[in-house]
Amino acid sequence: MDALLASAGPLPTKRPKGNNSNSNNNNNFKSNYSKGQRQRPTSHQTITRGDGSNIDASLNSILSNTRIPSSFHHSNLASGSGSTGSAKIRPDSSTNKIVDKKLRSKLSRVDINNKQAKLEREDVNEWLNKAVQGTKGDIEVDEELGEKTWRIKQNDIVENVAVNSSKKKFDLKMNDMGTYKVDYTKNGRHLAIASSKGHIATFDWQAGKLHSEIHLKESVRDIKFLHSEDYFAVAQKKYVFIYDKDGVELHKLKQHIDPTHMEFLPYHYLLTTVGHAGYLKYHDTSTGVMLTQIPTHLGSPHSMAQNSHSAIIHLGHSNGTMTLWSPNMTTPHVKLLAHRGPVNGIAVDPSESSAGRYVATSGMDGVVKIWDGRMWGKELRSWHVRNQITSLNYSGMGMLSVGGKSGITVYRDLTSTTNSNPKNQFTPTPYLTLPLPSLTASSIKFCPFEDILAVGHEKGISSLLVPGSGEPNFDSNEADVFETYSRRRERDVRNVMDKIKPELITLNTDFLGHVNESRGGETHEERNSRSFRQLGRLERLRINGKSDEQQAELEDDEEEEQEDGEQIQGGKKEKVKRKMKGKGGSTSRYLRKKQKKNIVDNTLLAMKAKVAAQKQSEDTRRKIASGEIVKEVGALARFG
Amino acid sequence: MISRSLDDHLPSSSTAPHPLQRNLAPHLHPFQKPREYTRAMTAVKIDRMFAKPFVDALGGHQDGVYCLGKDPRRVAVVAGGGGDGEVIVHSLALRRPLLKIPNAHKGMVGGICWTSEAKDGKRGMITAGKLDGTIKIWRSKLFAPGLKDDESFIGNEFASGNRLESMDNLDNAGAIGENGFDLNENEDDGDEEVGGGLTMDFKKRDRLGENLEPTMTYTSKNGFNGIDHHRQDNIFSTASNTVQIWDENRSNPLSTLQFGNSLETVTKVKFNQSETSVLASVGNDRTMCLYDIRTGKAERRIVMQFLSNDLSWCPTLPTTMLLASEDHNLYTFDIRNLNSPSQIYKGHVGGVMGCDWSPTGEEFVSGSYDRTIRLWNRESGKSRDVYHTKRMQRVFDVTYTPTADFVLSASDDGNVRIWKSNASKKLGPVSTKERQSIEHRQKLIERYSAEKGVRSVKERRHVPQSIHNATKLKREMIESRKVKEDRRRDHSRKGRDKPKAERKKTVIVEQK
Repeated sequence: MDALLASAGPLPTKRPKGNNSNSNNNNNFKSNYSKGQRQRPTSHQTITRGDGSNIDASLNSILSNTRIPSSFHHSNLASGSGSTGSAKIRPDSSTNKIVDKKLRSKLSRVDINNKQAKLEREDVNEWLNKAVQGTKGDIEVDEELGEKTWRIKQNDIVENVAVNSSKKKFDLKMNDMGTYKVDYTKNGRHLAIASSKGHIATFDWQAGKLHSEIHLKESVRDIKFLHSEDYFAVAQKKYVFIYDKDGVELHKLKQHIDPTHMEFLPYHYLLTTVGHAGYLKYHDTSTGVMLTQIPTHLGSPHSMAQNSHSAIIHLGHSNGTMTLWSPNMTTPHVKLLAHRGPVNGIAVDPSESSAGRYVATSGMDGVVKIWDGRMWGKELRSWHVRNQITSLNYSGMGMLSVGGKSGITVYRDLTSTTNSNPKNQFTPTPYLTLPLPSLTASSIKFCPFEDILAVGHEKGISSLLVPGSGEPNFDSNEADVFETYSRRRERDVRNVMDKIKPELITLNTDFLGHVNESRGGETHEERNSRSFRQLGRLERLRINGKSDEQQAELEDDEEEEQEDGEQIQGGKKEKVKRKMKGKGGSTSRYLRKKQKKNIVDNTLLAMKAKVAAQKQSEDTRRKIASGEIVKEVGALARFG
Repeated sequence: MISRSLDDHLPSSSTAPHPLQRNLAPHLHPFQKPREYTRAMTAVKIDRMFAKPFVDALGGHQDGVYCLGKDPRRVAVVAGGGGDGEVIVHSLALRRPLLKIPNAHKGMVGGICWTSEAKDGKRGMITAGKLDGTIKIWRSKLFAPGLKDDESFIGNEFASGNRLESMDNLDNAGAIGENGFDLNENEDDGDEEVGGGLTMDFKKRDRLGENLEPTMTYTSKNGFNGIDHHRQDNIFSTASNTVQIWDENRSNPLSTLQFGNSLETVTKVKFNQSETSVLASVGNDRTMCLYDIRTGKAERRIVMQFLSNDLSWCPTLPTTMLLASEDHNLYTFDIRNLNSPSQIYKGHVGGVMGCDWSPTGEEFVSGSYDRTIRLWNRESGKSRDVYHTKRMQRVFDVTYTPTADFVLSASDDGNVRIWKSNASKKLGPVSTKERQSIEHRQKLIERYSAEKGVRSVKERRHVPQSIHNATKLKREMIESRKVKEDRRRDHSRKGRDKPKAERKKTVIVEQK
């Protein structure tokens, strides 16, 4: 933290005490430092070296705790020192409408807290998680001179990066083992590989430590780590098997027949598989119970992906449709005709700007499409790719890699605002091209929190460098790259305790905690047979015109007044009458009725006189209001 | 390229904590709401799992216990008055009777209160007989166990006395907990009791209780239904067919208070805690009456739909008063506006016999004829918790202890029961870490308490079958009555009879 603060720029020099300090004083103050003898520098001060360059003693400090430093706290007090000096946080103006004093103060407090937390989070992100300098860490070239990032080769990158990073590029050559599948753990520390002919290995790729290596001698279609590197699931010829870190077979999941694709939902502890028969199966790995199996009725799927932000499973089918599934529905949430051929690659963007919103699909028709999860109607953009695509993957920073025959192409900024113009119709410029001569990338995975792309192909796997692809700032409470044994044990227990119920998997992730706006009762009969008193609170408010949404719909004050005046009963929504002013009054109605009968009697005359008097007084009042006549205010005013 | 130095991410020594890196960006924390919800579910389940409110039952009464006398200045002492005229002073810390007075009164004990004097050595207890029409003041050293020399301790338990040696006695004066016993009233033979003074010679204690004579006795023609002591002064008030104010040192009442010429039987009387000269009473004519002893007059009175069995003044809000009504409800009134109660508390299925505020005035407890105790928040009309036991019979009086940790109930079966005021609270010391996690869990529950899953666990209470059925029946009856009223209104002329708010129904008339 201190290091970043220091590198963000020097603090304004402190003035010594006293308001009348001038520049001379200031100079004296500085000179104390340059001599550097009188005062011992603290860890937060910048010291000037003899040669004039500045060093910061705090640059080498280690993050000691996770609490937000007090300097980041937005104090809401008048005397408090707000870090940005911004205006006082005020609650939303809509809270003023609440009549109940206590509820109002409670809600406004909640609102202020939320706003404050948001501000603090933004501050922390700005100070802690922004790159010290430059952009997001991707390759920059001089576009004007005609340099292109996609012309840069792996070897160029390896030569130019630090030794530490260049070591991360490696190839594991395995001949005649079939095509390889790869998978990373959530913290990106461990890698699992599985060849189609049954060679399986898991290892800590950073330390170069092999955990297990097995030759199964039967076809393997997929491999997935479960919640930690301790367990991994392998989709074998007939069933799914679970192995532990040492490669010991722990479980045979007999219910998963002929599996082709697997996904693991880490927060729900659900292993999801789909097989040739097209049954989507959810298996709870913490209890060992099969949760549900859903027939997709669309045959053997060609691809599968999970949305890591909503735990929705995406399946790509041979007829060109993509379907979105959760264990709670036997029908897909969304069914989408994405391609004119089998959908063979799906990837969901987990990056900050997208948070599971953007989905990329690729089909046998050679097209890559980007979809917006908020509106599935039309793709955001699509382009043709020359080689036959086999798989897609998104990186932590939102780079899309498209793997296919003889190479991989990496794109960036596919959905950023600068691209939301007619240019979207064109093929995006690739960020990097990673050729694999005479090989097909059967499986590609970006390593979480690293700038690494792992590719599985016919001759083993390759770990390639893609600068700027990984999320640089991990959170040790979520996925710790440097996880120790004790912390992993702690996390294992905590995560199981926080296991989310599968019922909470929803397409709309913000679903929980909102007001249930059911209209009360399934049928029209049920809803309308209840008296006003028996209705739910929201319904009663709606009828009384006091619910917020209703108020927005109200057009003018007149109608509101009218509604308030009427006593509403019987649960039926009162029809809003559009009356013309002055026509519907009881007096005039009475007069009209009488006059129709053409009988003139005393009551009618009295009524007429009354109406006329009313009219006149109304007239004078209006005239006084408009200033047409001046109201008499003297002693004679009482005489009219 | 991302390149991380191991120095930044590995602990500097084997004992140093693992360095943590935080990134608060939401995309790294998916499922924030469901995870928090899951934690809230766990928290609320833990809360219910540890909900064991019953602490102990204090026996010893030969008949049912019909009134409790809480000593407002001491934590661990309470007196129970039985139906046979027996008064027992219980120690809550020892969970044993300190003193038994078998024939304090002939017939039922109407009420018990404690004198307000700070001198602990002469602590006095005032009991009133319901049938024999006497009031007796009892003074005994046993009320302040552990105090050895007769005249040493002057000053209350929170401030030291005015003598130096009284400082030494502060610890063993039985101020907070009772930790010493000396039953040798007259002769001091110097024997140390085995077990640090916790052992008790029961026979000796009983003999002492039998021989104890009241220091003061007042007689009246009428029996006394209730008694309450002034907060500081040496006066107390009684409820018979009038409200009488007595001085501890005089044998005749200082004044007799009455609303007009009403001859109703007053059942309970209570002094206000802040505005100490104001008192209120409830009577058999379904009334609640306010008096001021400065003017010596009854100020105003309300007549309600049903009779109130008990009342209690809020210790922190001087104008707030709680009435325990026979119609199964409790009502809080703001005495500035007696037209309608400020809140109705529904939940009991029997007449509410007793109620008492917690010292903070945020919560209160009520005991009912339906054999349950309920705890309430002042602000919500539904009870926060309900306590019951198989052996507990009709509850006639309840009280909060002055520390607000416990609730006491006196019931028909002759027991005074101790309950925790917060059912799942841990007794005993709580470490900082534990407290933090408890607070975190509470906050989680609070945040998600509107959500159905959490709410259903939080609010679900198992009640005995009889109460469950009675609740159901009552709900059905009220519902059908209301539906009938709705229908009648639907079929009568529009606007003829408007629905009346429940709060407007309770008070029939306010008299001045």
